[in-house]
Amino acid sequence: MNPSLKLFLVLIIALEVTFTSYLYSNIVIIILALAYLIYRRVRWQRLAWLVIITLVPAIAIFVTIAFFSPGHNVYFAWVLVSRLYVYVMTGSAVSCTTSALQLVRSLEQNCHLPSKFAYGILAALNLFPRIAQEVRLIRIAGQMRGITLHWWSPRLYFKAILAASQWADQMAQAMESHGFVEGQTRTSAHRVPLTRRDWTTFFILVVVLQLLIIALP
Amino acid sequence: MEAISIEQLSFQFEHQHPIISKLDMTVTAGEVALITGPSGCGKSTLLRLIAGLLPKYGGQVTAGQIRRATIDRHPLRMGMLFQDPAMQFAMDTPRHELEFTLENCQVAPTQIPARIQEASNFCQISDLLDQSITTLSGGQQQRVALAVVVAMHPDLLLLDEPFAAIDEANRQFLIKQLGQWRAAQPGRTIIITDHDCHGYAALNPHVFQFTAGQLVALSLFQGKAIISRADDAASAPLHVPVPPTTAPTIIQLNHVNIGRGKRKLITIPDLAIMKNKITLLTGANGTGKSTFFKALTRLIPYQGEIDYRQKDIQKISPGKYHYQVGLVFQQANEQFLNVTVGEELTLSARHQRQPLLTNDHLTEVLRDFGLAGMEDRVVYSLSGGQRKKLQLLVMLMIGHPVLLLDEPFAGLDRDSLSTVFNLIKRCQQSLPQTILIISHQLTGLDQLVDYHLHLNDEKLTYEGVQA
Repeated sequence: MNPSLKLFLVLIIALEVTFTSYLYSNIVIIILALAYLIYRRVRWQRLAWLVIITLVPAIAIFVTIAFFSPGHNVYFAWVLVSRLYVYVMTGSAVSCTTSALQLVRSLEQNCHLPSKFAYGILAALNLFPRIAQEVRLIRIAGQMRGITLHWWSPRLYFKAILAASQWADQMAQAMESHGFVEGQTRTSAHRVPLTRRDWTTFFILVVVLQLLIIALP
Repeated sequence: MEAISIEQLSFQFEHQHPIISKLDMTVTAGEVALITGPSGCGKSTLLRLIAGLLPKYGGQVTAGQIRRATIDRHPLRMGMLFQDPAMQFAMDTPRHELEFTLENCQVAPTQIPARIQEASNFCQISDLLDQSITTLSGGQQQRVALAVVVAMHPDLLLLDEPFAAIDEANRQFLIKQLGQWRAAQPGRTIIITDHDCHGYAALNPHVFQFTAGQLVALSLFQGKAIISRADDAASAPLHVPVPPTTAPTIIQLNHVNIGRGKRKLITIPDLAIMKNKITLLTGANGTGKSTFFKALTRLIPYQGEIDYRQKDIQKISPGKYHYQVGLVFQQANEQFLNVTVGEELTLSARHQRQPLLTNDHLTEVLRDFGLAGMEDRVVYSLSGGQRKKLQLLVMLMIGHPVLLLDEPFAGLDRDSLSTVFNLIKRCQQSLPQTILIISHQLTGLDQLVDYHLHLNDEKLTYEGVQA
């Protein structure tokens, strides 16, 4: 399915799930999303991590609502937990099966998102691993000069932000020197197809979603 | 025809002295212009002005103008290569960067694969195309950067100290390719800034000397003389002995394997680093010199055992260990923890172990380094060479028993080099310290170093004459 449509579908699901509170439709969505992730051969370890990490806030929410809220509403607690998993699973259905570059190309070509915006986001995403690396490096640079920077030290983040803003400026210059001009038309090395089949799948899934929400208790 | 003509140009950054004042320069289409001068003189600034990145990204032109030629009714197409190889890519892999660039240049999709092929053959990066850029070595990144600008089919190539962190083989390869690129089509122009002029004879460049904010165009004869002088200095071989087997050691490596990503880089069955000596580490780009330093400072994992003073370094707490074994990073910016030059110096002074760099001595060194009176400057606004010197200084002040220097001389001109050599030697002897240096530039180094380690074919060996 086309990456942009996939993203919109997930956004629609998230919106609808936020404003309704049906347990069974949530569960069906989770199962469908999981099935899709398995069908696309996402690694088992990654799936297991998604489930386990989400478990922490899920348990917290469940305990709060089921035991400490005025009504002790166990059903609503389950709804909130399942809602959390809907967000995580549908979100992963996009992020685990589409690279950031594919999504950006699709948003640019299919949705005519301004390229400045699209590639700005992408450049920022490509900076993330560097920021993590930078924070590690800053701590060691500190140790080498006799200073211990703890993870709560403001200096650590101040320096990381400083470095990031430096990069932002250099990145803008790098993009410009590689021919990027704001608002100028670009060609595309890889066309991202948006076919009739994509649209059909999209609408069928949206209709199925409504049916699920209306039909299930 | 003139590709670039600059008339009476003056430029300054906010609240600073003018870097360029009343500068004139004319570059004829089809020629190679080589701009040389000491670090911090404003070479990079001039190049960015020509590229149109300045004053857009800071500073202001106070007088004069730059005229760029139009070729076949379209504006001059310019491609720029930056000094810092890591900071010129917006995408994750070389292939994506090339595609991004060609899309920007509105190349028809059907022609893009052929253009990528052509550019990657030209710079010999075909095997790197789908690797993550962050895992490439500095030299490989610079080859990728050249491939990207060549793919743009520019009329004018601007290269800012392109070989600062590149070994001799890659430098010669890239210079040869630049010559071919220019010869392939009439009217192709190249402007290079480099403080080190060796190896440029083949390009037959028009040499300009940068002094006090202005450019002096040298005659053909003067230019040739400068290049051949630099060639002589660069080709002088190192004369150092192999360490005697009885020499005391400080770091011992046993059965160590080091890799980058999935690739195995270095296998060390047994190696000792000599105590209180200066050892030079050389090797081609991408062989893993920086990676070796990162393993020694526990920045990356490795297999096997590394001992510091007979103790496994994994068993020493990181804080303590890094106070003993310091690393001067290849990228100067990563070393700094504060904002201004003064703050950086104060920070180092707090944990200073080097008696040679206190008060009066420090003032003197700052003057020698051309950093006097710059206490209030933001470190990131210094030139590449000034940053390198400040970085080295703040690390030498700490006085680590073992100090690793990764390309400390990159981007430094001749005069700076001799003051830097002198300071390293004095600091090393006064404590004393064990120092390891990675350097591509070997000029005058045999005065400084005691031993020479060479990395080749995944192996590290001491080179030199048997003592």
